[in-house]
Amino acid sequence: MRRAIPVLAGLVLLVALLALADMSLNSYYLRILGLMGIYIVLTVSLNLPNGFTGDFSLGHAAFMAVGGYCAAVLTMPLVSKELLLTELPTWLQETVVPFPIATVAGGLLAALVALPVGLVVLRLRGHYLAVATIGLLIVVQGIATNWDSVTRGARGLSGLQPHTTLWWSFGWAVVTIFVVWRMAYSPFGRAMVSIRDDPLAAACRGVRVFRTRLVAFIVSAFFAGVGGSLLAHQITAVTPSTYSFDVTFLVIIMLVVGGMGSVTGSVIGAVIMTVVPVLLRDLERELDMVGTAQLVIAGALIAFMIFRRQGLMGTREFRLAGRFGPKASSPSPAPDQSQTPTSS
Amino acid sequence: MNRTNAQAIVAAAGAMLLLAACGGGGSEGGGEDGPIVIGAVYSVTGSQSSIDEPGLKGFELAAKQINEDGGVLGRDIEVSHVDAASDQTTLTNVVSELIDNDGAVALGGINDSTFALAAGPIAQSSQVPFVVSGATLPTLPEQIGDYFFMVPFGDDAQAFAIADYGLNELEGQTAWVLVDQAYDFTTALNTFFQQRWEEGGGEILLEDSYQSGDTDYSAQIARLQDLEKQPDVLFVSAIPNEAGIITKQIRDAGLTQPILSGDGYDTPLLADVAGENADDVYFSTHVSLDSDDEQVSGFVAAYEEEYGTKPENAFAALGYDTMNLIADAIERGEDASSEAIRDALADTSGFDAVTGNIAYEGESRKPTKSVTIIEVQDGVYEFADEVTP
Amino acid sequence: MDYVLQQLANGLALGSIYALLAIGLTMVYGILRLINFAHGDLMMLGAYLAAVVIGSAYIPIVLAVLVPTVVIGIAGLLVERTAYKPLRGAPEVAMLITSLGVSRLLQNSTVMGLSPQPRSFKLPGDLTTSFEIAGIRLTMLDLLTLGLVVVLMVGLSVFINKSRTGMAMRASSENLQAARLIGINVNHVIGAAFVLGSALAGLAGFLWAGRYGIIDPFMGFEPGLKAFVAAVIGGIGSIRGAVVGGMILGVAEIGFVGFLPPEFSGFRDAFVFGLLLLVLLVRPNGLFGTSEVERA
Repeated sequence: MRRAIPVLAGLVLLVALLALADMSLNSYYLRILGLMGIYIVLTVSLNLPNGFTGDFSLGHAAFMAVGGYCAAVLTMPLVSKELLLTELPTWLQETVVPFPIATVAGGLLAALVALPVGLVVLRLRGHYLAVATIGLLIVVQGIATNWDSVTRGARGLSGLQPHTTLWWSFGWAVVTIFVVWRMAYSPFGRAMVSIRDDPLAAACRGVRVFRTRLVAFIVSAFFAGVGGSLLAHQITAVTPSTYSFDVTFLVIIMLVVGGMGSVTGSVIGAVIMTVVPVLLRDLERELDMVGTAQLVIAGALIAFMIFRRQGLMGTREFRLAGRFGPKASSPSPAPDQSQTPTSS
Repeated sequence: MNRTNAQAIVAAAGAMLLLAACGGGGSEGGGEDGPIVIGAVYSVTGSQSSIDEPGLKGFELAAKQINEDGGVLGRDIEVSHVDAASDQTTLTNVVSELIDNDGAVALGGINDSTFALAAGPIAQSSQVPFVVSGATLPTLPEQIGDYFFMVPFGDDAQAFAIADYGLNELEGQTAWVLVDQAYDFTTALNTFFQQRWEEGGGEILLEDSYQSGDTDYSAQIARLQDLEKQPDVLFVSAIPNEAGIITKQIRDAGLTQPILSGDGYDTPLLADVAGENADDVYFSTHVSLDSDDEQVSGFVAAYEEEYGTKPENAFAALGYDTMNLIADAIERGEDASSEAIRDALADTSGFDAVTGNIAYEGESRKPTKSVTIIEVQDGVYEFADEVTP
Repeated sequence: MDYVLQQLANGLALGSIYALLAIGLTMVYGILRLINFAHGDLMMLGAYLAAVVIGSAYIPIVLAVLVPTVVIGIAGLLVERTAYKPLRGAPEVAMLITSLGVSRLLQNSTVMGLSPQPRSFKLPGDLTTSFEIAGIRLTMLDLLTLGLVVVLMVGLSVFINKSRTGMAMRASSENLQAARLIGINVNHVIGAAFVLGSALAGLAGFLWAGRYGIIDPFMGFEPGLKAFVAAVIGGIGSIRGAVVGGMILGVAEIGFVGFLPPEFSGFRDAFVFGLLLLVLLVRPNGLFGTSEVERA
């Protein structure tokens, strides 16, 4: 019970801040804030495979696309459906699902897709997994661009309602943080980290390696789907390019900046990398030098990898009491694996 | 739940507060005296840049000329531009930033229908008029709402015009169609072309497709050559980036039929990349920049003086017209408020633009404009016909 | 029949360029376990260089081939020394992320330094006029590309197998640590791999631009990715594998578009990566792969 008090206090503070923001900020800043919540969902969830189990996936946007399209088809107003999606099965064409349910459905569909995909791609590790997941993204984009009767191809689905309020995006951010945290700092989390550090040793000690990796992958896909739906209902349109490799790239940067293997790190990374491009864009306007933002971000990423590749937080977690340092149950910082060709 | 979990949330909240603090002082531009702020929404980086950059240059040129002539209602025009980076998320942020922070009273820009569908609703819900400069999906104004206006004609108009030209002037009967699946514009153009072609008694022998970004069309072309009956004309529904390369590859393969297309072909890249291979290419577009028309030649000369190059394509002229149309509406409405601008825009009739006459009939907000057909011979883009639908 | 042969020729011509790119990727991956996402962007720079050379009046065409090859070779070394070398001994993923950053950096520097506008690339002379042999339409450039690939493959194989540096490369790709222990200058070897691989990317830039006649700052990323697929199909670490893999990928890609109904054309890239997944699952070592690498 005592442990629940700080949590409640934190939530109350968050709610108070959000309410304050909601009242005082104009819709531009609210939009950026909403985006921040969405990126927190995406980054924290990508941390599960990429940071904790060491399965470096570049396919997050693929699951976002699955969730985003699914939710968009479900919430689209009847009028728009009649106009845009004439080839849908009748039952789908006549139903409009409330946004929260559609978002969960999008997440579930993404998770469902992640199951067979995971069974296949998780047979790979390291770079091969990275390229295979890019491949997945390209396959999903191909389907989104060509499956005309459901996705309307390149034209995409437009006319969605702007359901994604500050409350939804931060509500989901809190849920994501909660779930990932509970997974990461539990016996399951220790299993994940042991797989990342040495899969063979983990297997020898009775960790069910494949199953653990698969679960992490699927949970991550669920939240990617949720994030996809939130993004769709913020932009109010989905096209294949909404979920391009650029989105994956941005989320990877957030993850790296925060520190792979740290939940609070992911939150901090997402917050920083939502704000920095906005500030850089203002700088661009001041200097009248378009393209600076992209250049600076790419350069910063390289510098980060060279000088602080563990990210801001490494695998530590941020605590209010100022006690930095590994928690008893948290993993020690990932050792710099000297790269022998046969490692793992 | 444990403590650290809560602290994660607090950390997020704290960081958010920081941003909120940064965002305190937004500038206001819609006052009564200062300059009138008009937002320009163009992507000068990324995939849209080759058509958006000329658009922005045209837009800014018009504003500069207006200010040199004393502005509108005695006030200067201030163009506020933020790069939308050819990315939907950035685009929606930018539109919101222009309206909420910069206090733009009207927005202009965007040359792609997909992007217009993401940007339009934000302006609509803020009740700020959006004048789209180059997106041609005919249903855009209906889909977005009464604050949305189009400067260009719709894809239906230009597809019909080029189909008619192919049937009547070039006396084509059979056509081969190659369509880019990656854009709203190219798929719509294709649909309208086929509809008109078949209504006019023509026959489509084969429809083939590709995705923008592909660079190798040899497979599609080989399939075309393998057709039992060779088509009279080749219709290519492409965006500017691919216009030259597709034409080059078609001609390199030894095919000499006339190639037809829409305004996606209106790019110097066509003649640059394809060279003499670009002969016998016909496309419909907004204006012939080589025209002797006083207004057109005046615009081309001013553009060249300002930027040192000729207008890259018709999108430069469309950008120019967009700004002028907005200024005209402010002048006519004698009021620089968003609502007055909207009303004045809706009443536009007989506005003489570089790309033709703009009039919004009834509540259509899509102009019925004449379509220009251009013929390419020896690398020169010549005026071939003008069709008023 | 002509149709089949024509599609085959088209596929081989495209595949040759993938092969050139794949050779560089496979050499670097063999030694460093790095998927160099920036490899395709080096190709893009090569294409721009070639354009500059050709644009500057009466420079012999040979230079348009040589300059990108040499300069991009050096550029590749620079990239390695500044961005990748500081990461020696870091987890593999760190290098992968870095190479993504390098890729973006190169693309956006080109956008800012030059222009985001695509520009035309015109080869002088008869290189691009097409002619017909036995019902198949080809250009001189196609033949040149194919010839270069074969010559380079043979040359590089000899280099790898016979020269000292080549042997050191092979040793390093077997086991980098062990190679270091027996006195091989590993940095030297890695540098050599980058120079060679990037030089080929520069050359590929010239060929790609010549073939398609248009260049833009983002032209390199996708071919780079596909070349990696080619390298995997051939078996990572094997030069012969990279070439064969490139050819297979080129023919498969063109065949996919050419022999299936047109409705499927849009799935071209999806097909390429579907193929990758299949190869990884059925034969993870590729056709010629022998070395045991990290996969399962």
